[in-house]
Amino acid sequence: MADEPAVEERAIVAKHHLLVRLSHWLNVPILAAMIVSGLAIYWASPVHQHPPDRITGSRDYLADAGAFVARHIGVRDVKAQREWFYNHFSIGVFQLAQALRLHWLFAYLFMLAGLMYVIGIFRSGSYRAVLPRRGDVRESFAMIRYYLRLGKHPVVTSKYNALQRGAYASVPLFGVLAIASGWAMHKPAQLGWLARMFGSYDGARFIHFWTMWAFIAFAIPHVFLAIADGWDTLRSMVTGWSARTGAPHE
Amino acid sequence: MSDEEVIPSESEGSGREGLEEAEADASLEAPLPPGSLADARDDIPPPRPSILHRLTIETQAEPHVVEAAALRKQTRRDFLLFGAGVAATAAGAWWLLPKHLDSVAVRASRERFLNRALTFDDDVAEALYSRNRIVQTYSRKDVTPLRNNYHNPTPGPGYLSTWSLTLTGLASGRDAVLSLDDLRPLARREQITRLVCVEGWSAIAWWGGVRFADLLAAYPPHPRAKWAAMESGVTDYYVSIDLDTARHPQSLLATHHDGAPLTLAHGAPLRLVVPMKLGLKNIKALTKIAYMENEPRDFWAERGYSKYDGL
Repeated sequence: MADEPAVEERAIVAKHHLLVRLSHWLNVPILAAMIVSGLAIYWASPVHQHPPDRITGSRDYLADAGAFVARHIGVRDVKAQREWFYNHFSIGVFQLAQALRLHWLFAYLFMLAGLMYVIGIFRSGSYRAVLPRRGDVRESFAMIRYYLRLGKHPVVTSKYNALQRGAYASVPLFGVLAIASGWAMHKPAQLGWLARMFGSYDGARFIHFWTMWAFIAFAIPHVFLAIADGWDTLRSMVTGWSARTGAPHE
Repeated sequence: MSDEEVIPSESEGSGREGLEEAEADASLEAPLPPGSLADARDDIPPPRPSILHRLTIETQAEPHVVEAAALRKQTRRDFLLFGAGVAATAAGAWWLLPKHLDSVAVRASRERFLNRALTFDDDVAEALYSRNRIVQTYSRKDVTPLRNNYHNPTPGPGYLSTWSLTLTGLASGRDAVLSLDDLRPLARREQITRLVCVEGWSAIAWWGGVRFADLLAAYPPHPRAKWAAMESGVTDYYVSIDLDTARHPQSLLATHHDGAPLTLAHGAPLRLVVPMKLGLKNIKALTKIAYMENEPRDFWAERGYSKYDGL
């Protein structure tokens, strides 16, 4: 390369604003911390309970699901079975004080990251790329067919395909829902109007719990598809630019 | 890899923008569609897209041609920064997660950090609090069963015959020892409010008793007092209550639950009901209130929970 007199050039296109990239990666540890601490809080008083089991005394569907898995992977001890889910997906049982402190800390960080993201998408105008548009439902099904190897990739001339638009537009909305329901549970007296927007304090708990599953349901295919889409996509979320300068995805 | 394809420059102009400009251009200003300027004639102004169009319609990002060497340098820098962030995150996770704490020094630094976060959240709660904001009340039909969440065994009835409430830190300079009869001159109040436990469950309960504010008026605390140290000699439990909360019209010293005198399970004969605080502040079998200038100790705050506990 040193003996090349002409300057080597590359065409690139701006893809992700710096604040969008920062908040994207910050959300990985933040959401992980919110989930492992949140589940340890959930353990203390599960949202979804049934009458106590006659043998184990369990009331918790989530602990039951964990015990089911534990039994089938050879965990013998009944107590270990019952606590398996929380010992593997949260900071553990009887960790309420610690879990609450972590949850509040990361909740504030999550709101800060969300603010960075919002500033980023409006400064760059990239919010326009995720707004829904006519034909998105049809194109979403075409994308699903493509992912299931049942059809061809539809011609996409925009930054994202319809399925991506739907996902990237709804995840921030789930973030807003998680924050709003979180505050409704955290301050149900001073923010009583917010709790009533979720029906009641318990309504906010229900929504808050299920936003976690919404994030998980988004994140798992998101990671697979981002990797499948290739190096340019992954790199663009670190560097901000893409070398794909305009040719529509086929 | 896809980015190795040679992409012809499609950009207008010299295509000699520096990388910093490429970064700055990340804030795409939604330019007019290319070609619209060329079409413009002197007499006919170019059609401007509507505001709604400009605010909602995605525009294709303009490609830039940059020096490959500079791009590589910047990419390397970005990935090094990214790697540093990943390393810092891993170190932070190791430091924060309780299972990996072997050393006392690490534990102490982590506790200080988490306590600061907790204090910040308490400050937010205190800023949100207003003595004039009435906590939602419910009707008799909304009442739900109330769990007895005594962390220790529920006390036996032995203490009831000798029970009294001691007030210290009063403006008079003398302590007051009260019986339930001494509370009788104060106006009786009833309220149906939600009790929210730090564990996550809640219950709607019907309470009867006297306003804490009325007790404060009848037995005024020392003028410099800002806190009430609330103690139960029966259960060795103690909580701190700021006097601003104590003076809230819905802060009750309750003698009744569900229309009947308090049972042993719910703190007979007198307990605190503060619906603007977590359940753990609603101390049962209250025997002493000490007014003081500095924040008193709090049972659960000593065990890693927050101090203010405002809801």
